Amino acid sequence: MVDVAVVGAGQTKYGNHSLGLKGMWAEAALSAFESVDGDFSPSQIDEAFIGSIAFGGSQLGNTAALLTEHSAMDGVPVRRVENACASSGFAFRDAWMAIKSGQADVVVAGGIEKMNDLTPERKRFWLGVSGDTEWERLAGLTFPGTYALMARRHFHEFNSNHDDLVHISVKNHAHGAMNPLAHIQKQVSFEKAAGGFMVADPLTLYDCCPTSDGASCVILAADHVVQQFTDTPVWIRGSGAASDRLALHDRPSITQLKATAEASKRAYQQSGLTPRDIDLAEVHDCFTIAELMATEDLGFAQRGEGGTFARDGRGVLNQGDVTINSSGGLKSKGHPLGATGTGQVVEVFKQLRGEVANGRQVRDAETALTHNVGGSGATCAVHVLGRDRE
Amino acid sequence: MKSGTDVWKGYLLAWDETYTLIQSPFTSDGSRVFGADSDHTTLAIAALQHRLSYDASVDCVSLAEGVNGPIFTMATGVAMADEQTYDSCKWDLLIGDDATVVLVQRDTSIELPVLETRLEVDLEFHAAVTRAWEKELLDGHVSQGAYVSSAQYNEGGVARMALSGQQFGELLVWPPRQLSQDGNREDGRISLKPLGTVASWTKLSAAGAPSEFSLRAPLLGGLTTVFLDLKDGPKGVFLMVDDEENEVTIGESVELVVRRIYAQEGMIRYGLRGRII
Repeated sequence: MVDVAVVGAGQTKYGNHSLGLKGMWAEAALSAFESVDGDFSPSQIDEAFIGSIAFGGSQLGNTAALLTEHSAMDGVPVRRVENACASSGFAFRDAWMAIKSGQADVVVAGGIEKMNDLTPERKRFWLGVSGDTEWERLAGLTFPGTYALMARRHFHEFNSNHDDLVHISVKNHAHGAMNPLAHIQKQVSFEKAAGGFMVADPLTLYDCCPTSDGASCVILAADHVVQQFTDTPVWIRGSGAASDRLALHDRPSITQLKATAEASKRAYQQSGLTPRDIDLAEVHDCFTIAELMATEDLGFAQRGEGGTFARDGRGVLNQGDVTINSSGGLKSKGHPLGATGTGQVVEVFKQLRGEVANGRQVRDAETALTHNVGGSGATCAVHVLGRDRE
Repeated sequence: MKSGTDVWKGYLLAWDETYTLIQSPFTSDGSRVFGADSDHTTLAIAALQHRLSYDASVDCVSLAEGVNGPIFTMATGVAMADEQTYDSCKWDLLIGDDATVVLVQRDTSIELPVLETRLEVDLEFHAAVTRAWEKELLDGHVSQGAYVSSAQYNEGGVARMALSGQQFGELLVWPPRQLSQDGNREDGRISLKPLGTVASWTKLSAAGAPSEFSLRAPLLGGLTTVFLDLKDGPKGVFLMVDDEENEVTIGESVELVVRRIYAQEGMIRYGLRGRII
């Protein structure tokens, strides 16, 4: 079966973006086109998948067609992929599958979200639409609340504590401070992060990712056309995805995300790699507790030891077992929902090609993992990528 | 027990064989007033639930205007009387001008006791919460909250109000599934006990509360939500009641009572909320 590589990747800066949907997408697409080493024309694109929640609803239907119209991809078969915050993780997987199936050779996967042009009231509505509406929302929960429930239970079951979460926040802010595309490019002290405004007890402001605008775009190619575009492709070694019950109360445990565990198991199996082989991972840290649990669910730490992993700095850039969120993660780089999954791919594409500046380059990076979660874990896509094809 | 007084689901209660009197514990200027998430419907449900706990023969109640009949039936499983059934119905539900409800056997003469417990409300808080509910209930008030349509709300109404679940072999499931794991439609329902233990909890700040609660959350100082291991096995998430202390800890026992949750499109959404026992 055909192998698939990433041959180009780009994104906008995340944050309060002055551009609207069309402008942001065009910027990300152009950045991806220009990142291709060899000759590339958008006319070579066979298919496109764009992840977005269409936050705010300004172009809820046919979003993707509007975006391709404004990015030199007129006529390309395109669709919007929606799986909450995992939308573009799944768009990336769909693009990979399109090439694997033999129906396409060059495919674009991307994502976009414009979140900061709404009133606070409308924003809060859209931030809650991906959780379980009928039961959790009527119990007063949005995502800070659901992740707070997970955090408190994890503390109870495994003696982890809020300081462990603070270590994650401090680490990701330190990484993000070196990333010119990050939403929050600012280091945060342990004391400041520990004493943040309480959003959903026990989670403070410094445990929560910001609300970001942004777009990201990557170009995938089949093995038999890769050399047209680059001599240094990043190969997709494994793709895994899974789903779980939408509401927390329908799951056997709230201290792990089964969808993450299942998706990563499939991606590892396909790649022939294990967690120990991974040099860097872009992990879905919408809340610090999400990163703590992900380090366990992805196999970087034993179950229940995510707190110790964080406390011991085992995810710090070039210091730990595996660099976790060299980009700053959702916490610092930002979280434009639909753009996040392919934004993670943009980071590992550049890391694996040794193109990252400002002291943020992961040394000798050969393999990487991306982990993109929808909502509180109802959907998850995990990808293992590497410089080597096998 | 043929008669007595008690605290029941957060309300004051007196009863004998012919009546059930239920009142809010809160007062203002000598009158009984509702707590922050109660009304005549929640009192009426609590009254009948108490009677049903020792007398399962009540199968029909004639409701006073001001009590939400469909919600009452969803929560208790007891039909409200209509024109055809009124004459055969043996129980009437009466409401007072204040926060009082009486369930009384028809054609009996009763003398209601005076319940002494009086918790004087903070007038400013009470007035603000009352105004917030009034505003929330206006047709013109368009909530930016989660949209749970009437159809969707009613579909889950019995599960929401009476903890109606399903038995799939050994497995007790709540909330109910449309299809079982083997693909069959399962209609058999079983009511779970409204009791649970706190497995986790959070308190959302007013700023972080969902927008459908935006009028009341600032007055309440945020919203407390618990994740419960229900006594019968399944798990669930519930808001705690608004008018009692909610300093929750893991392992604490909680009972579930019917209260108001929020209003949308002029309709109050009721549901189960937790109170520490």
